Amino acid sequence: MGLGFWIQLAGSAVAIALLVAFAAWARIERPCPPLDEVAARALLAEEFPGRNFERLWIPADRRGVVARSGNEALILFRAGDGYVARSLGWTEAAHTAARDGRLQFRLEDVGAPVASFLAEGAAPWPPGSEARA
Amino acid sequence: MKSFDPVTLATPFFILTIILEIILGRLGKAKAEYEAKDTAASLVMGLGSTVAGVLIGGLIAVSTLWVYSHRLFTIPMTAVWAWVAIFFLEDLTYYWFHRLSHERRIWWASHVNHHSSQHYNLSTALRQTWTGGVAMTWAMWLPLAFLGFPPAMIAIQKGISLVYQFWIHTEAIDRMPAPFEAVFNTPSHHRVHHARNPRYLDRNYAGILIIWDRLFGTFEPERSDETPRYGIVKNLGDFNIFRVAFHEWVSIGRDVIHARSPKEALGYVFGPPGWSPDGSRQTSDEIKRAWREREPDRSSDEAGMSRRA
Repeated sequence: MGLGFWIQLAGSAVAIALLVAFAAWARIERPCPPLDEVAARALLAEEFPGRNFERLWIPADRRGVVARSGNEALILFRAGDGYVARSLGWTEAAHTAARDGRLQFRLEDVGAPVASFLAEGAAPWPPGSEARA
Repeated sequence: MKSFDPVTLATPFFILTIILEIILGRLGKAKAEYEAKDTAASLVMGLGSTVAGVLIGGLIAVSTLWVYSHRLFTIPMTAVWAWVAIFFLEDLTYYWFHRLSHERRIWWASHVNHHSSQHYNLSTALRQTWTGGVAMTWAMWLPLAFLGFPPAMIAIQKGISLVYQFWIHTEAIDRMPAPFEAVFNTPSHHRVHHARNPRYLDRNYAGILIIWDRLFGTFEPERSDETPRYGIVKNLGDFNIFRVAFHEWVSIGRDVIHARSPKEALGYVFGPPGWSPDGSRQTSDEIKRAWREREPDRSSDEAGMSRRA
């Protein structure tokens, strides 16, 4: 690879940085308002069609939702201006404790290894635990 | 090997049209949604793809030249009929390459990154693979050299196809005139291809001509009552570029390590994406089947839409 290749590579990197900066400046992301229960249920129904959602937990920043469905925890979390859906065994999810104000679920998935939520200021995790307290 | 590279020539056009799409989106004159991290991931994948192409290009060139040296015929690069022939044959090759890239996991591992954006804009077009060379999908074009098409001619036609496919990655264009939609791949047809709605999964594999999908039964029209939701069945959890490039390869590796028999290992590698020995995951066909059972009215309407198209 000669000098020309490296010059071209550097030029391309600069062009990419400028384009990304321009895209960020334009602020034309997909609208992604904080979730309330109605919006969370609609998203869950889209990602997990045909499932029942027994208990919902929404983090403090409203950037996701965890719902119990039978023996599973159905998890939706924000990535950029989109949502990522995964599931986890309910028992494992329910035994996950918040640390430093965040609730982190380990998903054992290369594509999305962790779902992290702001727990501080949100309803207690797991949902329904406040009734037992 | 080639003196004329359509992709290199078109690069300024790529940049200018991305800028134009962003401006139109900003002004509200066209539908265009850009998220900065997503855009960065797409563009860096594009740059990395060109670097990977340089690294693997020698092997592809040598292989193609070797096959060409054992060719059946000698097809002149200067003949108009030869360009017409390679236009159709290369596009047919692309259709099957693309279909295979969706229907077999080892090739999906190389192609999935192109679909991993939840956006559909011109930057998505540049979200290209880093591992196509390793997956050896380029070997599907070798029969053209064996037929007698000069390697440079094949490379140019592949470049033309890639350039054509750039402009169809947009929501800014709704529909082209009906005769054009009937014959060519368009933004509308390709939006369907990038959608993760069960109805749209694994449809519209076309490169330039949509006729192959119509011919081989994989065509699905975009419906006004079903907006495409872009991305993959299991969207990525972040924008880490190495996750974008390699996540499915790592997943395959993990599955193969944990396979209980050689047959299972082969299933994980060469089965359809989503295949698992115990049925705990879902392939596209299974997702579609579940959707048809869940929504029989809408899915039966699917047949009607296809007939009308």
